Amino acid sequence: MSEAQKYVWEGAIPLQIHLHESEVTTLPPPPPALVLAPRIGYLPLLISLLKPHFSSTLPPGQDTIWFEYKGLPLKWYIPTGVLFDLLCVEPERPWNPTVHFRGYPSNLLLPCEGEDSVKRSFINSLKEAAYVINGNCKNVMNMSQPDQVELWGSVLNGNLESYRRVSSKLKLGTFEDKHTENINSVLPKSESTGDTDAAGQVKSGRIPVRLYVWTVNEEFDDFEDAPQVDDWDKVSYTNRPVEIHNEDGKFFSLNDAVRRLLPEFFQGSSFDNEGDTNINRTTEEGENSGDPGSSFDAHEIAEIKLVRIQGIEPILEIPFSWVVNNLMNPEYFLHMCVCLKISEASAVQ
Amino acid sequence: MSVESPSSVRKVVVHLRATGDAPILKQSKFKIAGTDKFAKVIDFLRRQLHRDTLFVYVNSAFSPNPDELIIDLYNNFGFDGKLIVNYACSMAWG
Repeated sequence: MSEAQKYVWEGAIPLQIHLHESEVTTLPPPPPALVLAPRIGYLPLLISLLKPHFSSTLPPGQDTIWFEYKGLPLKWYIPTGVLFDLLCVEPERPWNPTVHFRGYPSNLLLPCEGEDSVKRSFINSLKEAAYVINGNCKNVMNMSQPDQVELWGSVLNGNLESYRRVSSKLKLGTFEDKHTENINSVLPKSESTGDTDAAGQVKSGRIPVRLYVWTVNEEFDDFEDAPQVDDWDKVSYTNRPVEIHNEDGKFFSLNDAVRRLLPEFFQGSSFDNEGDTNINRTTEEGENSGDPGSSFDAHEIAEIKLVRIQGIEPILEIPFSWVVNNLMNPEYFLHMCVCLKISEASAVQ
Repeated sequence: MSVESPSSVRKVVVHLRATGDAPILKQSKFKIAGTDKFAKVIDFLRRQLHRDTLFVYVNSAFSPNPDELIIDLYNNFGFDGKLIVNYACSMAWG
């Protein structure tokens, strides 16, 4: 297993969690709770750490835990690391979300009945990813009960060894790009994939991606000046698979992937499933290059300001296959946070 | 988002299929805007069936999360020009 994958699994965000003032019944109010939240974990799973800390101050009632950050209720089924990457453009350490145990905003958030809901959401995402990769999710559905328990346990406890053992049975494979060999040989020798091959993994073409895109109209040089995501309506959430697509014997880069994922912003790249009829909207001459990999600056209406995956901003020239194999979440989705700057000319349309 | 993809106004045919003891709807096929979220299908079913707890799946396989766009689900999992949505009153496929 790769070094990067270990970093992802061990990755955690230091949280300083405050209880919302409306739920504080004691004086002085309780101090904030300091916890390390695993990147690949989910916020409601922190209840066993947070409840003891705040229980003595809570007003009477039933517990339904939820979180907010700067007034924005946090979606519990988004992995904690992704929430942080998306909502803290300038990373704040510790991160300061607020916790609630009362007054669940069921008009804004999906109901969550604790760990069972989170587990069900995780398994369903895994099935969805398997469906994208293999065209069905039989391997996940036919998993034995003990295997399913072990898989979920490995995510809960951040046990990568155990995860590798049980997830290899799903035959979801690794993603390969035949043009990256040269690059791999110059990378530090950390990728021993010997045991993956032994497990009979298959190579796959379609890569499941969850994409969180927000757009800005103004230039900013410093993340501190970047507009905050303060409303879920400002984030476009798309689920589109990416196929590794080689051109001119060149490997498929992260940059290529983002452009193919967002054909509505990048002229000259097309998305297979959608048909190409609509993407020429801003092209004066109606030119259809039919050349998916290349781009024509004059026709582009967006500029990639930021691509953040697992807390890092990889250079856009990195092979996408490396990104997927090393930075995907345990449910086989690659979560990418992308900030686009829309040029003013096109923004006024 | 300030720029909308024109393809997003596309309509998708959703075919609703009852599973287990869930009541069958009089009309099973509906057109829905691709820009709508899966949550809209779930809400529609809840209202039609007067049930709070409902399990809703795509292709008898998995429950997408309610924020997923209908157009993405259709592009990824639809066939024969429609998206198959199964609903059940108790958990059917996990």
